[in-house]
Amino acid sequence: MTETILSLDGATKRFAGQTAVSGFDLAVNRGKITGFLGPNGAGKTTSLRMSLGILKPDEGKVSLFGRTPNAKTLQRVGFLPEERGIYKKMKAEDVIIFFARLKGMTMPAARKAAREGLERFGLGGEARKKIKDMSKGMAQKVQIIATLAHDPEFIILDEPFSGLDPVNQKMLEEMIRDEAKRGKTILFSTHVMEHAERLCDQIVLISGGRKIFDGDVPEALSQVPRRVIIETTSDHDLRQVLDSQGIIAPQEAPDGLKGWTIELASGSDAQDVLKACVEAGVLLARFEPMRAHLHDVFVELVEKSNREAV
Amino acid sequence: MRAIYLMARREYLSYVATWGFWLSLMAMPFIMAIFIGISVLAENAQPTRYYAVLDDTGIGFDARILDALNESAKNEAISALSDDAETAGRSDAIPAIAAAINAEPGLEGWPEAIDALGSPTDHSATEFQSNYVRVDPPARSIEELRPYLLGEQLLQIDGEAHPLFAVVIFRPGGDFGVTAEYWSTNRTSGGLRSSARDSLRDYVRSEALEEAGISESVLDRIHALNPGITENSPERGRTSAEVSFADSLPFIVGIVFSIGLWMMIFSVTNMLLTAMIEEKGNKILETLLATARYHEILIGKLAGLAAVSATFMLVWGGIGSGGLVGAQTIAAAADLPAEAILATVFDPGLLIPAIGYFAIGYLMYGTVYLAIGSLCDTLQEAQSLMSPMILVMMVPFVIIMATIENPDSPFLQYASWVPIWTPFLMMARLQTNPGLIELIGTTIAMVATATAIMALASYVFRQGSMGRANASSIKRLLSFKKAKSA
Repeated sequence: MTETILSLDGATKRFAGQTAVSGFDLAVNRGKITGFLGPNGAGKTTSLRMSLGILKPDEGKVSLFGRTPNAKTLQRVGFLPEERGIYKKMKAEDVIIFFARLKGMTMPAARKAAREGLERFGLGGEARKKIKDMSKGMAQKVQIIATLAHDPEFIILDEPFSGLDPVNQKMLEEMIRDEAKRGKTILFSTHVMEHAERLCDQIVLISGGRKIFDGDVPEALSQVPRRVIIETTSDHDLRQVLDSQGIIAPQEAPDGLKGWTIELASGSDAQDVLKACVEAGVLLARFEPMRAHLHDVFVELVEKSNREAV
Repeated sequence: MRAIYLMARREYLSYVATWGFWLSLMAMPFIMAIFIGISVLAENAQPTRYYAVLDDTGIGFDARILDALNESAKNEAISALSDDAETAGRSDAIPAIAAAINAEPGLEGWPEAIDALGSPTDHSATEFQSNYVRVDPPARSIEELRPYLLGEQLLQIDGEAHPLFAVVIFRPGGDFGVTAEYWSTNRTSGGLRSSARDSLRDYVRSEALEEAGISESVLDRIHALNPGITENSPERGRTSAEVSFADSLPFIVGIVFSIGLWMMIFSVTNMLLTAMIEEKGNKILETLLATARYHEILIGKLAGLAAVSATFMLVWGGIGSGGLVGAQTIAAAADLPAEAILATVFDPGLLIPAIGYFAIGYLMYGTVYLAIGSLCDTLQEAQSLMSPMILVMMVPFVIIMATIENPDSPFLQYASWVPIWTPFLMMARLQTNPGLIELIGTTIAMVATATAIMALASYVFRQGSMGRANASSIKRLLSFKKAKSA
């Protein structure tokens, strides 16, 4: 049976009369990577803060490891906040030890974890270096190590990729995959869809403080219509040829060609379109089934949510 | 508790594990030692000053100035030994000390005066001896003496060249029969000038008194009369009611504790503010909040800086006590009642209230400073919110200074009831027996106010640390209130 590590049931939070999060439901299951997506100001950070008990919901309930977030349950969580900061005058190793000890580790265990973490991230030689003497990227790595040093069961990462260069982003992606392979549960917020699409088992999309999608990636991708781009050298009107296949609209094409976009109807696929074209004697110069991306899902659903809110 | 301990430990080590902390810690006693050392050196290193007298009156002002200088030295010696006698609770010895010193033209009576004192002293006769040395004038007119005074020409004394410090010229004439001129390039050292003026004044007065039929010997007898006064306290037994320096010690220590308390709270709360702003600016709070709760962070910080204060107090207290005992042992200050001072400082009746007042004062001001720090990202931002706080904190210091000689002043009494000033003012007044009702009343008001302030400050801290309030929020709140009242 699937164990729910974190659940928010109808969580609502208001600040000075403004609703930041409204009736929000979330269930993060053990061993899964959950992507928490939403535009800026959607309520992601507020939801995460409620998940950790930093903020108390005005309405609804938050349950972490089956309990209201408390000192004990928080020791099983590793949290990397969006607004990242670290004691600049402390040495890298000491920072990691401090946070690991706050999470309940003994001094020797924390020291061992700090050294191993630094080695793993290629910072073994920087252990006694002060954070202020490190580059921004190195300091961020130290904070990630500090988040993971106590080997948490549940890892919450708020916008973990922001501020990292592509090499470090890749490294972090690998780290998330590794942790997931080790059976850890991961919840991370982002507005970079590529990371979510590559990593997540589950996607939760929030906009205007409300959940607008909750499901796996294929389910998310099915939220936007599949499209086919066609360019022809013949004068066929594809609106007539492909009438039953979906919504057909002309589009710009290079000289001598006619361009069309087909938004496939449910139950129809690119093969059906190709077959219909061949049967009708359409001379094809380009036939490109377009794969939907999470980015399209995000834009589509957020815009739809905004339209509904208006 | 673990989170509080770890927060406090980190905070404590962030100060104590730095060279800067120990340098600044040691700097204070070191600076004080240098200051005292320089004063002593300056006192003992007065250069010998050569002066000449041109006396055209035939009255003998040359000798009279010498007498006046000796008189001044004798008066200083009597004053110093009298202070020693009072410190030792032997005010009755003062007339005998004065008689012994005055019995001789110079300080030749010093050994007899020490016998009369009957207790050790760190003074010696040499420190009172005049550093002015009379020389024969190298010329007879000011025009010829000018190059000597300007240092263009030097005097040859025992084979060594010395500048001429001053020339005093007495001539017949003027309203009093004699005129006096003092010539020197030095405008600050006025000992010789005063002695010259005194000798002229004494001469003019004695002439006038003799004209009135009072002889000089009668005058000398009158001048020699020097009655003493003993200071007694009704709190002491009938047999030894005389008050000594040791009796004043609790009052002095009380005031010193009060000022020390103020300085300690003022500096440590400023450290708290800086640490909080650094934490806010570095955006560490949210990471901490994922593990610890607001109150744990708040208490951890307060505890850490309290431990820093304790380190300050222990090190300074240790250096002070060690210095005191050392000074007494080495006999550089043999008359210091070190035992009495240490007994007063470590008297539980004074020490326990001092710790209590420090704790409450520190919590009151510390939480406010932390709350202010949580609202600001930079020190500049904090400064505008700090100004009213600094003014509020300055008031008790000013009151203590203004009433330092009147710890029982009604003003001080009323001001003690202002809870935010109570820790400092009651500490200063503790030795004047303020009365049980006042003691309990001010304590209750202080504790209640401290609780309310801490609750409010904790709320502001929560809002500030999550970025839901900032320095502008407070300014907006204040301007809203102003607009409302207008």
